[in-house]
Amino acid sequence: MPSSASTASSPASPASARNTDVVVIGAGLAGLTAARRLVAAGHSVTVLEARDRVGGRTLNHDLGDGQVVEAGGQFVGPTQNHVLALADELGIDTFPAYDEGAAVYVHGGRGTRYTGDIPPDLLALPDIGVTMARIARLTRQVPLHAPWEARHARRLDALTLDSWIRRTTLGTGGLDLMNAFLGSAYGATAADASLLFSLHYIAGMGSEGVPGTLERGIGTKDGAQERRFVGGSQRLSTTMAEQLDGRVVLGSPVRAVEQDGRGVTVRTDSGAWTCRRVVVAVPPALAARIHWSPLLPPEQDALFSRLTFGRLMKCEAVYDEPFWRGDGLSGQGVFRAGSSVCSMFDNSPPSGKPGVLMGFLGGRQWRAWAHRPAHERRGAVLRAFAQVVGRGALRPADYFEQDWTTEGWTRGGPTAIAAPGVLTDLGAWRDRPFGRVHWAGAEHADYWNGYMDGAVRSGRDTARAVIEQES
Amino acid sequence: MAAVTEVTERAVLAVPLRRVWEVTSATDRYAEWVHGVLEVTAHHGTAEVGRTYSECNRTVGPLTTRSTWTVREIDPLRRRVDSGTGFEPMHGMTNIFEFRRLTFDDGTEGTEMTYSVRYRPGLGIVGRTIDKLQQPGLRKAFQTSMRNLEDLIVAEGDVAADDDSGATTP
Repeated sequence: MPSSASTASSPASPASARNTDVVVIGAGLAGLTAARRLVAAGHSVTVLEARDRVGGRTLNHDLGDGQVVEAGGQFVGPTQNHVLALADELGIDTFPAYDEGAAVYVHGGRGTRYTGDIPPDLLALPDIGVTMARIARLTRQVPLHAPWEARHARRLDALTLDSWIRRTTLGTGGLDLMNAFLGSAYGATAADASLLFSLHYIAGMGSEGVPGTLERGIGTKDGAQERRFVGGSQRLSTTMAEQLDGRVVLGSPVRAVEQDGRGVTVRTDSGAWTCRRVVVAVPPALAARIHWSPLLPPEQDALFSRLTFGRLMKCEAVYDEPFWRGDGLSGQGVFRAGSSVCSMFDNSPPSGKPGVLMGFLGGRQWRAWAHRPAHERRGAVLRAFAQVVGRGALRPADYFEQDWTTEGWTRGGPTAIAAPGVLTDLGAWRDRPFGRVHWAGAEHADYWNGYMDGAVRSGRDTARAVIEQES
Repeated sequence: MAAVTEVTERAVLAVPLRRVWEVTSATDRYAEWVHGVLEVTAHHGTAEVGRTYSECNRTVGPLTTRSTWTVREIDPLRRRVDSGTGFEPMHGMTNIFEFRRLTFDDGTEGTEMTYSVRYRPGLGIVGRTIDKLQQPGLRKAFQTSMRNLEDLIVAEGDVAADDDSGATTP
């Protein structure tokens, strides 16, 4: 955490403020992408970052010997063309997430091997099929740029995804497996999100000309979990920050933004910047906590305040070798209700050594375990891993957790979700510029909302809008 | 009155007695290792004589029962005795854990655990028949529970070195 996050000194007067064309608030993927584009267009840019690091919700964990593993966002896949193009520009390669061998489905404490993306739960399969088919049909009716204009939008937005699935299925299998997915995707359950928001989220799991599908969202091969970045996903941001050559100021949480017809003053604990435009690339709920003068429009303030993050922890165990691979296992596991984690993956570096297993503890599982003593939580996670790969998982060489709710400049993860009513009442305010202030971030994307690709898209689109305004 | 049935299983756990005692004394944690306990619905933390805790237990197939246990006897690091209700047609249910410290050849510490229940089958011959049918399952469940307990303690690692200062109970 930046040292300046805890104490505020006297803000600088405008007379002593530094001047730049554009201030970007937040040095995650969206902010850095926007800054890079703006610099390329000839603008002077300063990026103000609250933390003492760049990368936002991407974070590398050092495994030693030059190896890293991701403690934040990590997967990329087909149709995520913007983050993949950025990686290409930066010279960062991808490698396939380990997907050889069988996955394991855990239900009632018993593991069953399977291949493909759909767990072998005979009783749940009809519900899963019905749910996926209905979602596919409904997502086609949701306009990505304006989901509140969908046919029956208010009706769809009055329901939670949970209540809709319960209405349309016989058992709880479809709902349980949807929650296993949402535990990592939302850091929440289907009961926390509006049906319309969820349809929009799924409809965006594609790209222009390639409709979004739930299958792509949950899949490894040909899906959103297909590949990872060599050197870890945070490398995208550290490389962009290096290229921005001193324009990124760390440890500078923005406290206030004041604007009038002539320009904008951005105040941090250590000084002020004056500029013509501001790009705010921090999570919406944190943007709402900045002191705005004049105040944000009430609808935008209400929307941002309600777009709070889910609750997610990544739990990772490090072993000398990925021993499960020799047993014909991919290290992937899906847990139906009742387990301490919702899903898990082989998260080993591309060399395959050391072996790393990573489990998502999100939503309901986070609520159950986040406040338990650390050793009890570790025990529960490792026992869940053992249900998938065997008792060898119980004795890792190392174990670490990244709880995104304890990151003061994120406050949860992996993305913001909208409860019923929010999208239809307030959704139109999501990206609307506020005077000279523009918005960017993974939550401001229509495609791959909440993902790294969404963040890069949004950063690019917002930079384009600022450049147009300034030309 | 029907004769008392006793079912006993014994296992050697490759984990220290101190940790076995700590975990078995935690009345909120039985769902994590006792086979058939789906949820602890009420508890009083570390077991104390005279106090109670309640569980939801799996019985047959999807059927469950609500049980309440009272802690009757604590002999630290050696023996724990609880009495339970809610297992009809079995009456006078008593659960006994007994422990003995072991030292393995390599100098590491282990624990011998004995897991017993005593009860009186009700419903006459029907109850006695049910009892005979359930005993093999009970024995298997006790062995599974003790293996679960061992796995739990192994997975939690070196608790003494663990910093739990930030943990809270909601």
